[in-house]
Amino acid sequence: MAYPYRHERETRVISAHFGDPEARTLKGWRERGGYAALEKALGMDRDAVIEEVKQSGLRGRGGAGFPTGMKWSFMPKDDGKPHYLLINSDESEPGAFKDRELCRWTPHQLIEGALIAAYAIRAVHVYIYMRGEFFEPAQIVARAIEEAYEAGIAGKNILGSGVDIDVTLHLGAGAYICGEETALMNSLEGRRGQPRIKPPFPAAVGAFGMPTTINNVETVSTVPHIIKNGGAWYRQWGTEKSPGTKLFNVSGHVVRRGNYELPLGFPLKDLIYDVCGGIRDGRKLKAVIPGGSSVPILSADEIDIAMDYESVAAAGSMLGTASVIVMDDRTNIVKQVRRMVEFYAHESCGQCTPCREGTAWLAKILRRIENGQGTEADLDTLLEIGRNMSGTTICVLSDSAAAPVASSIRKFRDDYLALIRRGTRVAVPAAV
Amino acid sequence: MANEQNDTITCTINGVQVTVPKGTRIIEAAEAAGVGIPHYCYHPGLSAPAMCRMCLVEVEGMPKLTPACVTTVADGQKILTESEKARAARNGVLEFYLVNHPLDCPICDQAGECKLQDYVHQEGRAHGRSQEGKRVFGRDDFGGDILYNGDRCIMCTRCVRFMREIAGDEILGVVQRGNRSVIDTFFDEGLERSNWAGNIVDICPVGALVSKDFLHKARAWDLDHTPSICPNCSQGCNIRIDTRDNLVQRFKPRANPDVNSYWMCDYGRLRYEGLNRGDRIEAPLVRDAQGNLVATSWQDAIVALVDRLREVRGTGPVVAVGSAVHGNEDNGLLGRLAELLGGGAAVFRSARADEEIPCPGFPKLARRRDLAPNVRGLEVLGFERTGDDAARGGLDAAATSRGVVLVLGDELADQPATFGADAALFVYLGTTLGPAARNAHFVLPVTTFAEQEGTFTNFEGRAQRFWPALQAPGLARPAWQVLGVLLAGLDETQAPASAADAFLLLAEFNDAFRGLSYEMLGPRGALLNESVKLAAGAAEVK
Amino acid sequence: MSRESNAGAQTPKNPGWAGETGEFTHLTEADVRGTAYVGRRPPEGGHPSGACSYPYQRAERDPEAPLFEGPYRGRLEKILSRYPEKRAALLPTLAMAQEIRGHISPETMAEVARVLDLSPAYVRGVATFYTMYNKRPVGKYLIQVCTNVACNLCGADEVMAAFLDHIGVEPGEISEDGRFTVVEAECLGACGFPTAVQINERYFENVTPEDVPAILASLGASPEDASRGGEAAVPAGIGSEGDAEQD
Repeated sequence: MAYPYRHERETRVISAHFGDPEARTLKGWRERGGYAALEKALGMDRDAVIEEVKQSGLRGRGGAGFPTGMKWSFMPKDDGKPHYLLINSDESEPGAFKDRELCRWTPHQLIEGALIAAYAIRAVHVYIYMRGEFFEPAQIVARAIEEAYEAGIAGKNILGSGVDIDVTLHLGAGAYICGEETALMNSLEGRRGQPRIKPPFPAAVGAFGMPTTINNVETVSTVPHIIKNGGAWYRQWGTEKSPGTKLFNVSGHVVRRGNYELPLGFPLKDLIYDVCGGIRDGRKLKAVIPGGSSVPILSADEIDIAMDYESVAAAGSMLGTASVIVMDDRTNIVKQVRRMVEFYAHESCGQCTPCREGTAWLAKILRRIENGQGTEADLDTLLEIGRNMSGTTICVLSDSAAAPVASSIRKFRDDYLALIRRGTRVAVPAAV
Repeated sequence: MANEQNDTITCTINGVQVTVPKGTRIIEAAEAAGVGIPHYCYHPGLSAPAMCRMCLVEVEGMPKLTPACVTTVADGQKILTESEKARAARNGVLEFYLVNHPLDCPICDQAGECKLQDYVHQEGRAHGRSQEGKRVFGRDDFGGDILYNGDRCIMCTRCVRFMREIAGDEILGVVQRGNRSVIDTFFDEGLERSNWAGNIVDICPVGALVSKDFLHKARAWDLDHTPSICPNCSQGCNIRIDTRDNLVQRFKPRANPDVNSYWMCDYGRLRYEGLNRGDRIEAPLVRDAQGNLVATSWQDAIVALVDRLREVRGTGPVVAVGSAVHGNEDNGLLGRLAELLGGGAAVFRSARADEEIPCPGFPKLARRRDLAPNVRGLEVLGFERTGDDAARGGLDAAATSRGVVLVLGDELADQPATFGADAALFVYLGTTLGPAARNAHFVLPVTTFAEQEGTFTNFEGRAQRFWPALQAPGLARPAWQVLGVLLAGLDETQAPASAADAFLLLAEFNDAFRGLSYEMLGPRGALLNESVKLAAGAAEVK
Repeated sequence: MSRESNAGAQTPKNPGWAGETGEFTHLTEADVRGTAYVGRRPPEGGHPSGACSYPYQRAERDPEAPLFEGPYRGRLEKILSRYPEKRAALLPTLAMAQEIRGHISPETMAEVARVLDLSPAYVRGVATFYTMYNKRPVGKYLIQVCTNVACNLCGADEVMAAFLDHIGVEPGEISEDGRFTVVEAECLGACGFPTAVQINERYFENVTPEDVPAILASLGASPEDASRGGEAAVPAGIGSEGDAEQD
C-alpha cells in the first residue's frame, strides 16, 4: 500500500510494504517472500531472465518509459569486458518522491531487483547512485547492502550460485542533471556531471568505458515480482503498450498527497478526485502537471485522460515519472512557471549554448513579467526561445525548461496578460 | 557506393557529391566538398565535445538536427548545411551567445579575426532580443602571457581541452555550472609553468583569451600575414609573421601535420623583437686607406671586393663563420665562396639550452635544445659546430688569422676587439654592427630571414621555406644574393637570380639537396635526402 | 484501508517530522527514519559497500582537522577499493573531506587532488559543479528550505521567510551565533510532504511557519541526534559559489 495514505483502488506490487518497518530488514524481507525471485533467477538462463522482463512489457520508470527488457538486450553477451549496472536513485525531478519511499521502506526489494538485473546483463558491479540529499534513505540502503553481503546475497558466490556481483552505494552531491543517464555515468566516474553525446550508447561504451545499463529504482524494484510471477502476470494490469502498475506521486493542492500504486491507464480524474480526495479547502482545479515539472502543463478541462504513456502523450503532455502536481484556482501560474524555469537555470550543466543561455534568459524574462515589467512581445520571445531550446542540445533539460513555458503561455495566456497589463513597462525597441 | 577495397564512402553535401574515407566526420567531409560549417568547440587538433551546437546540420531521414563535428558520414547520406532548419538553428544559437556577450568589439583585440563577429555577420540576427542585464565576470590574469575576459567567453572549452590533451598539464578547468560557468585556474596557480599555453589564444574563437604581449598593439585588419619558420629553436615550427608598419607584431603558428601540428611554443612565439631592431647596417661599408669604414654603393663595394678576392685567392687559410639564423642559401654560398678561395675551416656557433621541452599531446613537437632554426642545415652544409652552449668562444683561429676571414651573421659579441685585425681580408656580412666587426675590411648589410626568401633545415633534416615579411632597411640585401654576385665575379658563372635558383645551386656541390626545388618544398617543406635525415633523438646527442 | 471523504471534511494533516504519518498513526519518527535499523555507522567505513555513503553535512566539524588520518584513512582505502579508477573516488572523497572539515577550501581541494593524482584545477571544476559541497563555511546547521514548485504551491516562501525572520539572518549567511545558515533548496524529493526542509542530514517535512520555532529549538537539543555516522548527527551541506543568489 502506498504511503502515507492507502486507497482501495490501489494495486500493491512494489509498495505492498510501505509503512512496515520490519520489511526493510533482511529477516523481514525474507519473511515476506523476499529473495525467492533472486534464487529463481539464478537458476534461469540469463537470457531467459531478460526474455521474462521483455514479456512483461515493463517500461523504464525514470521518465523516459523505454522498454526495460529491450534495454537489457542491448548489452553484449560475450565480449569479456566487465559490465556495470547503475541504479538511478538521483530522484530530483520536481514533483517526484517515489524512489525515496522505495529506498527507505523496501531497500531489499531494490537490492534483489538489482542483483537479478545484474545477473541478466552479466554485470559484475552494481552502483546505486543516490542523490546526496537522501542521507537518511542512503543509510538504510547501506545497512541493507551490508546485510546482503553478510548473508551471502551480494558479493562472491551469491546464494551458492557461483555468480559474483558487487554492490556499492554511491552518493551524489547535488545536481539534478546527474539523473540523466550519461551525466550519471560521468558523475560516478568522478567528473563534472555533464551528459555525454550519444552515440556511443551506454550499452557499448558506458561507465569506465565498459558496457553499462542504467535503470531507475522503481523499474528495478519491480523486477523481483516479474521474475517470481512471470512476465504475463504483470500484464494483468495496465494497457497493451503500458502494462503493469506505477507509483503515482501526487503533490500540490490535493487533500491526500502521497504515493499511490495504481495500474497504468488509471483515469487522471479519478486519481485527483477519488484517490487523493479532491482539491483542498474546497477550491477548484486550475492546472495539473501529469509527469513532473519537465512535461507540458494540462489545464483543468484536459484531465479526462488515462494515465499511461500513450494517452498522456496524445493529450499533448508526457507521463514521465507520473509525478502529478495539482494546482488550484488560487495559483499564480506565472510564478510557478518562473520558479520551475529558475530551477532549470540553476541545474543546467552549461555545456550546450541553447540551454546555458536559454534557461537563464527565460528565467529573467519571467521574473520581469511576474514583477509587472513585462510586455506582450515578451510572450512571443519566450515562445521562440523555447523553440530554439528544443531538439538542439545534447540532453533534454533544455527541452524540459521550455515545456512549461510554452504550455502555460498557450493555455494560461490570460494569467500572463493580467500581469503585463497591470504592470508599468513600456515596450522598448529591440535594437540598442 | 561504399568501395569495400578502399573503405570509402560517398555522400552528398548541399548537392555536391563527395567521397571520403570511412569514419570521416560530416564537418571534415564538408570541408572536402568545399563547404564550411560554422563551429566553435570543434577543432581538428582536439577532442570534439559537440557542445557549442553551432554545427548542427540537417541529414535527410534524421528527425533531429545532428552535430557535424561528431557524426560520421554514412554511405548515400544527403546532408544539408544551409537548409532552413539548419540556418534557423545557427541563428538561434548565435542569438543565445549574444544574450550575455558584451559589446566589446571596439576594445577587443579579437575584432577582425573573431569567429563570433564573422558568423553573426554572416547569418545572425541584426538585433538580439535580450533586454536583460548581462552576467559579469571581469578580467582575470591567468599567468604567463594570457589574460582571460570572462564576459566574452563562449564556453567552447577549447582552452581547457588543449591544456589537458596537448599541453599535458590540466591547469584550466570549467568552474561552476550553467549560466555561471566560467574558465579558471586553480586559484593562484597560473599558466606560466607551461610552454604551450600561448596556443589557447590562437584557438579561442573570441576575445576571451588574449595575449598580454599583443594587447591593444594592432588591429587585426591592419596586419599583413607572411608564412615563415620560427627562428627560435631547431624544431622548425611553421609560423605566420604578422606585421604592421614594417614591424613584426606577433608570431602565430601555421599548421603542418609533420612538424608542429597546429601549435607552437611560448618560447618561440614571444621572441620576435630581434627582427624589429632599428640599429641595422644600412649601406655597404668599405675601409679606406685611413682605416675608416666608408659607406659606398653596392656597385663600388662589390667591384672592390671581387678584386680583393681574386688577389687573396689561394694565398692562405680561409675561415668561414656561418650563422644558424641564416638560411641554407646564405650559408651554403658562404661555404662555396670559402672553398673557391682555397678552402679551410667552416664553423658556426649556436646557443643550446639545458633541456628539451616536449609537447605531450603531439610527440613530434618540442622546444628543442638548439635555440636556432638552421643548426642542422649548417651541419649538412659541412660547417662544424664550435663554441660553448652559450655560443661563446671557439673562434680563436679566426680571431688571429692572417688569411681570409668571412663572417656571416655572427655578431662576435664575445670576441676581443682585435678579432680579425691581422687578417689579410676580413669580410663581414651582417645585420648589425658588432664591435669586433669593426676590424672588417668590408661590411656588407644583409637581410634577416624575415626580410628575404630562403630555407631552414630543421632538427630532423626537413628543409622548409620562409618568405619575406618585412622590407629590408636601407641597402640591405639577402646574403645569398651578395655572395652569389661575388661567386659570379670569382669564377665567371651566372649569379643566382632568385632564392629558388640559389637553392638549386646548393645541389651542385651538396648531395643532400640533390633533386629538390622550391616547388617541391611548397609551404610544408620536405626532408633532405636519406643520407642526412636523422631521427629527432639522434640529432641532439653530441 | 480507510479513506477520508472529500467534501466538507477536515483536510487531514500529512505526515511530516516528529512522527505524523497520515494513516500510519502507529509509526514513530524512528520507524519512519529507520534510526534503529541503521544503528551506529563506524567512522572507518564499516562494510566497504557503504563507505562512499556517509552523511557529509554535520554539525560538528573542524576545518583544521587532517583529512586522511585515523579512521578516515581506512575509509579512504575502502572507498578506493570500490572503483576501477582513482578518479571515481573523487565525489566520495570530497564528501568525506566536508564531513571532517565542514566545507571545501582551496587547501582541501589541493589535498584531495594530491591523494587521487588529479590536477587541482580539475578538482576545483568538479567541486564547484555540485551544489552540496560548501565552498565557504556555513553555520552549524544548514537549513535548506525547498521552494520548488510542489512546495511552493503549499507555502514554501512563507516557511523560508519564517526561518529567516526567526533566526534573523540573510539567505546564505551565517547567523551571529554561528549556528545557522538558511538557503533555498531545489526539489528535495519529498513533494508529498510540503514544505520540505533539510537541516544537515535530516529531512523535516510538512513544515509550516508555525513549526519553525520548535524546529529551531530542537536542533542540537535531542540526545538521539548522536545516532548517525559515529558523531553527533545533523550533518551539514550545500553552498556552491554564489548559490544563495539566484540569477
